[in-house]
Amino acid sequence: MTETTNMKEKLAEMQRAQGPLLEVKDLKVDFTTDDKRAVHAVRDASFSVYPGQWVAIVGESGSGKSTSAMAVLGLLPGTGKVVGGSIKLEGQEIAGLKPKDYQKLRGSKMGLVPQDPMSNLNPVWRIGTQVKEALKANGMDVAHEKRSALAKALAGDEVAVKTNDDETFIGSQELPALFDAAKVALKAAGKSDEKIAKLMERFKEEWVPGSETRWRVADDLIKAGVKDDDAWVVAKEHVTGSTMNDRIAGLLSEAGLPDAATRARQFPHEFSGGMRQRALIAIGLACRPDLLIADEPTSALDVTVQKKILDHLHMLTDNLGTAVLFITHDLGLAAERAQHIVVMYKGQVVESGPSLEVLQHPQHPYTKRLVAAAPSLASQRIISAHERGEDAKALMEHQVKGEDALKKSEHIITVEHLTREFKLPRKKELFKAVDDVSFSVKRGTTLAIVGESGSGKSTVANMILKLLEPTSGKVIYEGQDIAGFKGRQLLDFRRHVQPVFQNPYGSLDPMYSIYRSIEEPLRIHKIGDKKSREKRVRELLDMVEMPESVMTRYPNELSGGQRQRIAIARAMALDPDVIICDEAVSALDVLVQDQVLRLLNDLQAEKGLSYLFITHDLAVVRQIADEVVVMQHGKLVEHATTDEVFDHPKMQYTRDLLDAIPGGKLQLGLD
Amino acid sequence: MGRYLLRRILQVIPVVLGTTLLIYALVFALPGDPVTAMFGGKPVNQAVAAQIRAEYNLDKPFIVQWLIFLKNSLTFDFGNTFAGQPVIDVVGRAFPVTIKLGLMAFVFEGIFGVIFGIISGLNKGKWYDTVILVLSLLLISVPTFVTGFVMQYFFGVKWHILPVTVSANPGFLDLLMPAMVLGSVSMASIIRLSRTEITSNIAEDYVRTARAKGMSNSSVTVRHILRNSLIPVVTYLGADLGALMGGAMISERIFNIQGVGNTLYQAILRGEGTLVVSIVTIMVLIFVVCSLFVDLLYAVLDPRIRYA
Amino acid sequence: MTDQNSAIEEQGKELFVDPLPGQERFVAPLEETPLKEVDYLDESVPPTSMWADAWKVLRKNPLFIISSIVVVFVFIVALFPQLFTKVDPLNCVLDNSLEGARAGHPLGFDLQGCDVYAHVIYGARTSVSIGILTTIIVTLLGGFIGAIAGFFGGWVDAILSRITDIFFAIPFLLGAIVVLQMFRTSSSIWKVVFALAIFGWVSMARIVRGSVLEAKNLEFNTASLALGSSPIRNLFQHIIPNSLAPAIVMATMSLGSYIVSEATLSFLGIGLPSSVVSWGGDISNAQPLLTTNPSVLFWPSLALAITVLAFIMLGDCVKDALDPKSRTA
Repeated sequence: MTETTNMKEKLAEMQRAQGPLLEVKDLKVDFTTDDKRAVHAVRDASFSVYPGQWVAIVGESGSGKSTSAMAVLGLLPGTGKVVGGSIKLEGQEIAGLKPKDYQKLRGSKMGLVPQDPMSNLNPVWRIGTQVKEALKANGMDVAHEKRSALAKALAGDEVAVKTNDDETFIGSQELPALFDAAKVALKAAGKSDEKIAKLMERFKEEWVPGSETRWRVADDLIKAGVKDDDAWVVAKEHVTGSTMNDRIAGLLSEAGLPDAATRARQFPHEFSGGMRQRALIAIGLACRPDLLIADEPTSALDVTVQKKILDHLHMLTDNLGTAVLFITHDLGLAAERAQHIVVMYKGQVVESGPSLEVLQHPQHPYTKRLVAAAPSLASQRIISAHERGEDAKALMEHQVKGEDALKKSEHIITVEHLTREFKLPRKKELFKAVDDVSFSVKRGTTLAIVGESGSGKSTVANMILKLLEPTSGKVIYEGQDIAGFKGRQLLDFRRHVQPVFQNPYGSLDPMYSIYRSIEEPLRIHKIGDKKSREKRVRELLDMVEMPESVMTRYPNELSGGQRQRIAIARAMALDPDVIICDEAVSALDVLVQDQVLRLLNDLQAEKGLSYLFITHDLAVVRQIADEVVVMQHGKLVEHATTDEVFDHPKMQYTRDLLDAIPGGKLQLGLD
Repeated sequence: MGRYLLRRILQVIPVVLGTTLLIYALVFALPGDPVTAMFGGKPVNQAVAAQIRAEYNLDKPFIVQWLIFLKNSLTFDFGNTFAGQPVIDVVGRAFPVTIKLGLMAFVFEGIFGVIFGIISGLNKGKWYDTVILVLSLLLISVPTFVTGFVMQYFFGVKWHILPVTVSANPGFLDLLMPAMVLGSVSMASIIRLSRTEITSNIAEDYVRTARAKGMSNSSVTVRHILRNSLIPVVTYLGADLGALMGGAMISERIFNIQGVGNTLYQAILRGEGTLVVSIVTIMVLIFVVCSLFVDLLYAVLDPRIRYA
Repeated sequence: MTDQNSAIEEQGKELFVDPLPGQERFVAPLEETPLKEVDYLDESVPPTSMWADAWKVLRKNPLFIISSIVVVFVFIVALFPQLFTKVDPLNCVLDNSLEGARAGHPLGFDLQGCDVYAHVIYGARTSVSIGILTTIIVTLLGGFIGAIAGFFGGWVDAILSRITDIFFAIPFLLGAIVVLQMFRTSSSIWKVVFALAIFGWVSMARIVRGSVLEAKNLEFNTASLALGSSPIRNLFQHIIPNSLAPAIVMATMSLGSYIVSEATLSFLGIGLPSSVVSWGGDISNAQPLLTTNPSVLFWPSLALAITVLAFIMLGDCVKDALDPKSRTA
C-alpha cells in the first residue's frame, strides 16, 4: 500500500517537473459540407495530458471527442481542418506541421488504438506484417528494448541497468540454450531438483522472446538465488538479441495474444474481435510512443473481453510509462480508468477535472444529466415493479374480463427445454446454439436474458417470436404450444407478441414514411379504415413522445433513438401483451438509451405489458428487469430476481459479468 | 488454398458442359436451317441436303449431336469446314496472331487502365482527374470500330506513324494499334473501376491505422490503398477476357488481321453455321480456362477467398 | 463497514490526488453551450424521402441536366423523325453519290446517294428502340430470375446461379453472333433484341440477386414478418422496392451499351440488313469512305456516341445520387 502511494507521489512529482506531454488549447476544427458551409465540429477545446497519465474524453456521438483526438494525430478525415488554437506535444507546436514532419511523430511519439477492430486491420496482410510495418516505418531497433525515462524511473529495478546491451531481447533461437544454462546455474546455486523444475516452469512462461530482456533474465535468476555474477554471465552469454519475427511475436504476446508466433502468420479474418483488438494494441504500442490515443478501444467487444483488454492495456501502459488519451462514451468506464476527465458536448468542453470529483459532484447540467443516465452507475430499476403493481393489476383484471373465457395463468410465456441446433458449413456435428433452456415470463413483468455474443440469447428470442422453429422443446404462450399455430391462430399470436429489434438503422424500411411504418401492422391485420388508422398512428406517436409532424418523414431523417421510438410505436400499434426487445437500446447513446428505457417502463406501467428483454449489458438490466436469465454458450447459467443476481450471484460467470460493468464499484452522488 | 483450387476446378466442369449444351440448344432450337444457310438461302436438292445432314450429324437430336461433339472435342476433333479442312487446323493457323493481339490488348488495358485510374483516384477533383474521366466516358460511348477507324485514319493514313493494315505475319508494331483499339473500352472501364475503388479505399479505417503507425504516404498508398484496390480490378480483368474474344473480331476486321476473329467473320459471311459454332465453342472453352487462372490469381491476392 | 465499502474508499483516496497544473476543475458557463432536449428533432427541416433526396442532389448536377436533355431530345427524334426532316431516308438516288451539302440536305449524301442527315434522324428510332426493348426484357427477365434466386435461396438459388454462370461464360458478342447466325434473312429488329437480351440478362440477375439477398436480411424484413406479414407480401412490399435502385442504375447504363452492341453487330454484317436505317449500318457502310469522305462516317458516329454518352452519364449521376455512402444517415 505504502509502496503504491510512494509510486504515485513519485510519478506526480515527475509529472510536475516535466510539464504536460500534450497540451491542447482552444482547439477549433471545422468540416466543410458539399455546399461549402463550415460545420464547427470542435470549438475552443482545451485539455492536457501528462506523461504516464490516463485522461478520458467523455461524450456522446457527435460531441467532437474523436475529432479532437484525430486532430492531435493529424489524421482528420475528409474535409476536416484545424482552424484555430494550438496543439503542443512536449512543448512543441504541432498543429499545422507539414505532413512529412507529422509522419515522424506518429508511431514513435503518438500511437493509436482505434475503435472498430473489424475494419482497422487490412484484410489482405498477415497480422505480423501489419505489426512489422509499424516497426519498420519508425526504424525501430528490434533487438533492444526502448524504454522511456519515466518507465525506468518507475520500474524501481533492483538490478542496475548499466548499458543499452542490458536491454537486449531474448531471441527465439537461443531460448533452448538459455534454459539449459539457467538450469545449470540453478543447480550450481544448490537448488533441489523439485525447486528447479518449478522455477524452470515459471521461466518458460515468462521469458518470452522479443519481449523479455537480458537484465530481466539476470534479475529473475538472482531472485531465484543464483549469485549476481553467475546470473549475469548466463544472461550475457545466452541473451544476445531477437530477430524481427521474435519482436513481432513478443509485441503480440505482450498485448495478451496467446501463441503469438503462430498467430502472427495468420490473417485478420482468422481472428476474433478481441484478438484483433489485441493486435491493434500491439501495433499502437509497437514503437513505444509517449502518448497513446485509444479511441473507444473496446466498445465493439463483449463486456468480459472488454474488461480483460482494458486491464491489460492499463498494465502495459503503466509499465511502459505511456500516457493514454482515452476516448469513451461511458462515464463509468472513464471514471474507472482515468485520473482526469474531460466532458465534451456539441464540440465544446463543458466540464473537466479529477475523475471522481467530476463524477461525484457534477456541476454542468449536461454532466449531471450524463451521470444520472449512465446505466453503469445507476443502481436501481427505474420504477420498481412493486411501486406500480396496483395499476398494472387493475389493468390486467380489466383485460381479463374483456376476454372472459380464457383462464389466465400467472405466466404469459413459458419456455420448456428449448434447444436449437444449426448445421455449420464443413462440420459434421451440429452446433447447439441453444441448449435445453427453460424459463417463464410473469405477466406484467420484465424478464431479461443476458449473455455475450454467441450465448444464444437472440436465437431464443427468434424462437419465441416463431421466426425460427426449435429443434426440440416448447414455447408456450397463454397456455398453448405455439408450434401448432397456423393461419388465423398464428396471426392472432403475432398480434399479441411484438418485437423491437436492435439496429435502429435496419429495423425501419428506408422506403417507408414513418406513417406507413407505424400503419403497417394495422394494415396487415386489416384493422380499421384509413381514417381510424391515421388517428391510431397519431395516438401512437404521442405515446412515444414524438411530434405528429414526424409522420411524413423518412427513417434516414431521424436519429437512432428516434427510430427506436418509432419501432416501439409500431410494436404498440396492435395493443400487444408481450414485447420482445432484442438489444433494443444497445446501439444508442447513454442519454437516449435512458430515455427509451424510461419510455418502455412507462408503457409497461400504463398498459400492463410483459417484456422479454434481450441484452448483453447487465447494467441496463438493473434499470429495467424484474428477473434475469443469464446465458452462456447456449446454456442457462443462472435464473433469479434482479436484486438476487446483483447482490448474491451464484455462478462464477455471472460474477464475471458483474465485475465487467465499468465503474460498477464507484460510488456516486448527485448534488 | 488446395481446397479452393479443387473446388474451383470442379466448378469449371458443369460450366463447360452447360455452355456447349447451350450453344447447341440455341442452334438447334432456332428456326433457321443450317443447310439452307449453307447454300445462301437458295433451294437445295433434297438428296444433297440429306447427305450433308448425315455428314454433320444434323439429322440426329441435338442432345446426340452435343454428345458426339463432346466426345470428339476430347481429341480436338471439331469436324471439317465446308471446304473440307479440319476446323481445328483452320483455327490453329489463325490462333497465334489472335493470342498475340489479345495478350497485347490485355497488357495495354491492364497497365494503362490501372495507371490512369490511380492518377485519377489519388487526385480526385483535380483538373486532370476530370480530363481522364471524360476521356474514359468517351471511349466507352464510342463503338470500338469507330475508335478503330479514327485511329487508323490519323495514325496510319494521315501521319504515317503506324501501319494501316497488317501483314500476314505481323510483328509487334503491326499489332500495336489493333491492340490499343481492342483494349480501349476495357481500359476505360478499368480506369473508372480503379478510380472508384481507390477513392473508397482511401477512407477505410485500416488506411488511417496505417498512417497512425507513422508509415510514409507513399508506402500507405502502395501497401494499403493500391493493394486492396487491385482485387476487384483483377476480377474485372478475368471477366473481360470474354469481351476481348468478341472484340478481337472487330479489331481484326478493321485492320485485316488473319486471326480467329477474322476466320469467324468470314464464316459468318459464308453462312457456315457449324464452323461458327465450333469457333465460338473453342473460344468459350478458352475463356473458361483463362478465367479459372484469373480466379486463382484473385485467391492469391485476397486471403479471405483462399481460406474460405 | 463491509469490505466492499472500504474498497471503494480506498479507490476514492487513490483517485483524489491534487490536480496537476492545467488540470484543475473547470466548468463551462452554461450560456456557451445551451443544453438541447435529449434526442432533439429539428422540425424546421422539411421532410424528404430517399427518392426526393436523390432528386434534390440530381437537380443541382449539371451533368444530369445535360444528359437528361439529350436523352429526352433523342426520344423525341426517335418518336417523331418527320418533325426534323422531310426527306425519306430510303429515297436514294445514285446520281447524288457523295455529293456535298446543299439546301434541304445539310450533311450531303453517302455512296448510295442517300441523304446523310435523314439517315441520322431515322437511325435514332432503330437504335433507341433496340436499346429500350432490350433493356425492358433484360430488366424483367434478369430481375425476375435474380429476385427468385435471392429470395428463395437454397437449392433454387444454387440451380439458378449455376445457370447464370453458364450464360456468363459465353462472351456477350460471341453469343449474339451464334443467335443472329440463325436469323440471317430476317430484317426485324426483334432478332437483335432477342440476341442481346438472351446474353444480357445475366448481369442484371446477378445484381438483383445481390440486392434482394441484402434487403432480405435486413431487420425491417424480419420485423415485418413478426408483425404478421407473409414472406411473399414482404417480397413485394419491402424487398423489391429496396433493391430497385441498383437495377435502375444498371438498366440506364446498359441501355447505352446495347445501342453500341447493335451498331457493332451491324458493323459485323450480322445485325440489321442495310434495308433498315440504323446508325450501326450507316457507319459500317461508310467505312470505305474513311480516307476520301470522312464526314459520311462522322455524323452517324457522332449521333451514336452522344446518345450512348448521355445514357451512361445519366446512369452515373443516378448512381451517385442514390449511393447510400454519400447520403447522411
